[in-house]
Order: sequence, then C-alpha cells, then structure tokens
Amino acid sequence: MNMLARVLRIFLGALFVVAGVLKALDPANFAADIDHYRLLPYFALAPLALYLPWLEIICGLAMIASCHFRRSALILLLAMTVIFTGAVVSALLRHLDITCGCFGAASALPLSFALARNIVLLLMLGWLLRSEGRRAKPGAPGGG
Amino acid sequence: MMHDEANPAGMKTFRQIALLMVLAVVPALLAAWIHPKRPAWGWRRPAVAEITLADAQRLPSPVIWVDARREEEYRQRHVPGAISLDQSHWEESLPNFVQAWQPGTSVVVYCNSQECDASHEVALRLHRELQIDGIYVLQGGWNAWLGAQKP
Repeated sequence: MNMLARVLRIFLGALFVVAGVLKALDPANFAADIDHYRLLPYFALAPLALYLPWLEIICGLAMIASCHFRRSALILLLAMTVIFTGAVVSALLRHLDITCGCFGAASALPLSFALARNIVLLLMLGWLLRSEGRRAKPGAPGGG
Repeated sequence: MMHDEANPAGMKTFRQIALLMVLAVVPALLAAWIHPKRPAWGWRRPAVAEITLADAQRLPSPVIWVDARREEEYRQRHVPGAISLDQSHWEESLPNFVQAWQPGTSVVVYCNSQECDASHEVALRLHRELQIDGIYVLQGGWNAWLGAQKP
C-alpha cells in the first residue's frame, strides 16, 4: 500500500510539473486558452495564466520531493483539479468547441477526453489524500 | 490561537497551503516582468487585438473571417467561408456580415500582409459602427494564411 502510494505520488507530481512547465513556457497562449472558456473577466486572464502554472510546478515538486509540504501540495492540486474539471464540464454543457488547455499548446484533445482524464486524476488524488491522512494520524509512521 | 490549539494539524496544513501559494507568486511575477511570451495586461479587453494564425484557428466557434482586401482579390481567392468587406463597397457588403454575425461570435479580419492597414481599419470600423467586441486582426494577413497552406 505504501509503495503504491509512493509511486502514485511521484507520478502525479511529475504529471503536474510537466503540465505546469508546458503552460509556463507560453503564458500568452494559456491566457487565450482560459479566455476560450468564457468564464472569467479579461483582467483576470493574465494574472492567472502567469500564476497557475507555477503553482502546479511547485506543488508537483513538493509531491515528488516528499517533503513536509506534500499533503498540503496534494490538497492544492486536488482543489485545482476540481476547479479545472468544473470549467471543463461548464464548457461541455455550453457546447463550446475548444481544447482544454490543460497541457498548454500540446493539449489538442477534445474536452470529453479531458473530462475523463480529470475524473481519473481526481480519483487518484483523492485516494492518495486518504492514504496520506492515514499516515499522518498520531501513532502512524511517516509524515515527512 | 484557540483554534490553533484545538486543531494544530489543520492550522499547520493551512499555513503550508498559504506558503505554497505565496511561493508561486515569485516566479509568476518574474515571468510577468521578463517572459518573452507574457500575456497582455489590462482591465478591459482591447476593442481590436492582433492574433496569430495558429491562435485564430483555435478560437472557439462561431468565428467569422472577414477579407478586408479589394473585392477583385477576394474573388480570385480567399479564406474558405470568409466574407468580403472591401471599404470601397462597405454599404453593399456590410449586410452580409450583419446577417452572419451573432452574439458571442469572434471576428478575424485580414488584409494582404503585415504591412497593410485595411484589416485594422475594417476591424475598428466594425467595432465603432456595430458596437461589437471580439474582433481580431490576423498577423501577417493573407500571406500568413497562404504560407500555412504550403505542405
């Protein structure tokens, strides 16, 4: 169980680092991707496009490094994935013909695929958070 | 403080989350300052913005392409589905555009190349006369489009 949690934590951490780096390489493109969802006012696009990729990278690194921050990083990544999934669902409900923008310019896959992937990600993040929670309980080994 | 004592683990997690969020601000600010591909800042969306061909092709539908070149050039060849808005035949051409446009539509205007002004003029005129937003001017114009068609 511990081994599986460790492998999953490193895999998810690396996935979010890659996703963050791809978006951080071209924040103007990411701002356009966020804009395509038609959910946010114009003034919010640039700050979010500059900030979110770095939050993903830092949280991903914290997960990989297995430092004291890994549970907090996991909670942040879970919260971000919930918000991203909500945006994808809203775009699907409005029949927007857009790409998800989840992996920068490399994400040309349809929204329905992004939704399925996000649901799998949410399940993995949720399971990992539960497993981390058990480890963090008093008397349990681990926690850093 | 009472809460801190009541749930120290929760407060620790909360502090760590706050710290991670603050940490991400540092590279984000640096990127806003020096990144060559940093996004444009502003409170309000510019009435007319330039757009690359790659970005224009990724705009969510519906999108109307507007050919701002001379009508003869449009008749020879144009972007598939484009509407001609030659300024010298403005009154006759505008109804075609109005008929095609609906709320939420993005408009991409092009003229011959990066050097021509017709696309900017037509884009601004559309914004001014019809009070619509979401109008883009294609960087590189028709030449950029043609260049992308080559194998």
